[in-house]
Amino acid sequence: MSGVAHDSSGRAAGKPTLAERWYLPAEISALRVWLPFAALVNVLILGGEALRGNVWGMSGTLSAAVLLNSLWIALPDGARGWRRTASQIIATVALMHGVLFPSWRDISLYDLWAVSWLIIPAGFSLYWLSTGLSSAWCAGASDARAAELGLARNRRLAPKLEAFGLHVFLLHAVALVVAPVVWIVDVSISPGNILGGAIFDAFSLEHFYAVLGGEAFWLWTRNSLVVALGTTLVGLLLAIPAGYAFSRYQFAGRKGAMFVFMLIQMFPGIIILVPYFMVMKTLGLLNTSIGLIVAYSVTALPLCVWMLKGFFDAVPRALEEAALLDGCNRVEVFFFVVLPLSLPAVAITALFSFLTAWNEFLLALVFNTSNDAYTLPVGLASMIPATNQLWGDFAAASIVVSIPVVVLFVLFQRSLIQGMSAGSVKG
Amino acid sequence: MSDVEFIGTTKIYDDGTVALDSLDLTVREGEFLVLLGPSGCGKSTALRLLAGLEDISRGEIRIGGSRVNDLPPGARGLGMVFQSYALYPHMTVRANLAFGLRRGRGDARVDAREISVRVEEAAEMLDLHKWLDKKPRELSGGQQQRVAIGRALVRRPKVLLMDEPLSNLDAKLRNRMRFELRRLHEAHGTTTLYVTHDQVEAMTLADRVAILSEGKLQQSSKPLEAYHRPANSFVASFLGTPAMNLIEGAAKGGVFTAGKLSFALPEHLAGRDGPGIFGVRPEDVQILDNGEGGGSPGDVHCRVGGVEHLGSDTVYHLEAGGNWIRALRRRSADRAQGTDGEPGEEIRVNLAVPAALIFED
Repeated sequence: MSGVAHDSSGRAAGKPTLAERWYLPAEISALRVWLPFAALVNVLILGGEALRGNVWGMSGTLSAAVLLNSLWIALPDGARGWRRTASQIIATVALMHGVLFPSWRDISLYDLWAVSWLIIPAGFSLYWLSTGLSSAWCAGASDARAAELGLARNRRLAPKLEAFGLHVFLLHAVALVVAPVVWIVDVSISPGNILGGAIFDAFSLEHFYAVLGGEAFWLWTRNSLVVALGTTLVGLLLAIPAGYAFSRYQFAGRKGAMFVFMLIQMFPGIIILVPYFMVMKTLGLLNTSIGLIVAYSVTALPLCVWMLKGFFDAVPRALEEAALLDGCNRVEVFFFVVLPLSLPAVAITALFSFLTAWNEFLLALVFNTSNDAYTLPVGLASMIPATNQLWGDFAAASIVVSIPVVVLFVLFQRSLIQGMSAGSVKG
Repeated sequence: MSDVEFIGTTKIYDDGTVALDSLDLTVREGEFLVLLGPSGCGKSTALRLLAGLEDISRGEIRIGGSRVNDLPPGARGLGMVFQSYALYPHMTVRANLAFGLRRGRGDARVDAREISVRVEEAAEMLDLHKWLDKKPRELSGGQQQRVAIGRALVRRPKVLLMDEPLSNLDAKLRNRMRFELRRLHEAHGTTTLYVTHDQVEAMTLADRVAILSEGKLQQSSKPLEAYHRPANSFVASFLGTPAMNLIEGAAKGGVFTAGKLSFALPEHLAGRDGPGIFGVRPEDVQILDNGEGGGSPGDVHCRVGGVEHLGSDTVYHLEAGGNWIRALRRRSADRAQGTDGEPGEEIRVNLAVPAALIFED
């Protein structure tokens, strides 16, 4: 920091105190972080305007980014008083630009959001640069006592400012995640099959009636359930013993097998699509649930085995030894001690297998040529062919299909968290 | 009959490490035997071989006269207390205690009523009543320890094995549990093998102590005998705090010489001849006050290198002819404290005391 003592500024001669050297008003340090961030957001908005080909908007956001950046450069440094004046002027210009530039008459929600990224930062800057509290510091005229008081004030203020900044960021993240859901809900309850339009402008359950009233949806649901539950069952039956063996026993090829499991995960599924198809065709498993169960189990197995192995590793060996001394044989040790302790891991593994099968699209599309054998993802896709797309039905069906997933996540929430922090859980 | 016999018992790991080298040791019925040694000496391996948790490479182990090498752990009639307690975290204390009884088959089968009677007994004995329906994680370390002991005893084992059971407790609790373990042993008389690296536990608990080093049995005897008549310099240095003084050199004509240091041997060692290690415990080293004793041949002139005041005792680190000698002086009422033996001072000590020993190795 350059705000150190200058004898010319009328302060007591000598070295500045520790407080003086460290003091920086919390507002100024917040602005130092926020202003470049706001400028960056304006640059992103500029990109959006360029995509829309909106030259007027481009020039507006460009100047906003430039103004915020200059304001950042001009921020007071605690010694040179003129910098406060300069930054006040820039902030005023930025604020006026933000207020006067847009055409307020028919402004959209998006444009309002975009322009607020200039008005709000500029407003905060102007307000903070003009209040009395930090002006002494800005002018380079604060003394040791003021610096100590200022540090105490920072302790109260800084966490609040940090929380504010963080929440602005988080709200944007949340909006990003929620927006598509809101959109699909809107499509599903809007009459007709139109994409776009105003949000929540009309309400109709016709798409839900259409989807739930039709036979095809229930057939697909049944297929999906059979495949997903079958995959979960087969996956667990194979992954649990395999994970335990990898965790506890030394055998020839152990390391190699673990590595090959990882290797399989590295290839995108589409590479094995054709060989898979030929295998299924040869075995006569096209258009059957068993074919999909086999394929999905194979796909999900490596990750399940790795996850379970990690969890079994965390079960202390002494527990198994205690059970051996208590008269168990190896199998009893596993069922009475290891498995009950690993239930959270088994739960996430099951959920993972279930979701893999429930959501998978590509294999199901290729293996199933008959409408009767479709699973939900394939069935849903069939609602939006090249012409005459049933967007409303599709949206309604998507929502219905995601309900079981949401329910599963809520039910398994506790296990999921436990299972994911597996390494830290010791008996 | 529940003698435990190790007969030439050897454990060699796949990587060639010899963890236990031909151990011959008999634990008599009702005896409390402590396996003592530094980490990696093979004491835990011996216990795990006996428990059946690891395979015996050579030799055999007999319990009550019959060979158990190939019996599964649960069939050997043992109870074991683990260092980490290894309580089943998903079961209540009651279920932990009953678990082993429920697994009993054939002759070892225990019916449900008998199980609850025995669990009650164990709870009574170890004062666990309040905790029976709690999960282990709700219990303190000391309580978990009691449950672990209870779980081992409830099956009425022929032999009780304990692997450093007190090492996870704080010092105060450790002292109390030590006392309680001894009391339990006296009440039940179960043959006990107890593994520890703590010489205080070994000295206080054991009927007999077996000291191991690098997989080999060094000495097995009553604790005090091992202290006063160690079989070799390893045992001598391992037992006792501060450790015994060991001076490597040679004896000839009643005089022991180690580098520049040489002094007369006490009478009982005067006949020794040849290279050896002279050993004398710090508390047996006689510190001679100035003018006292007037130049006997066992006297050694030393320079005080450092002094440690422990309250009840004072430990002097003395340098004599390139050798370091530790000497311990108990506090006594008639001697003013801290007036003698400042660092740098010259003092005389006498090493030619009746308790001195010479080791061949």
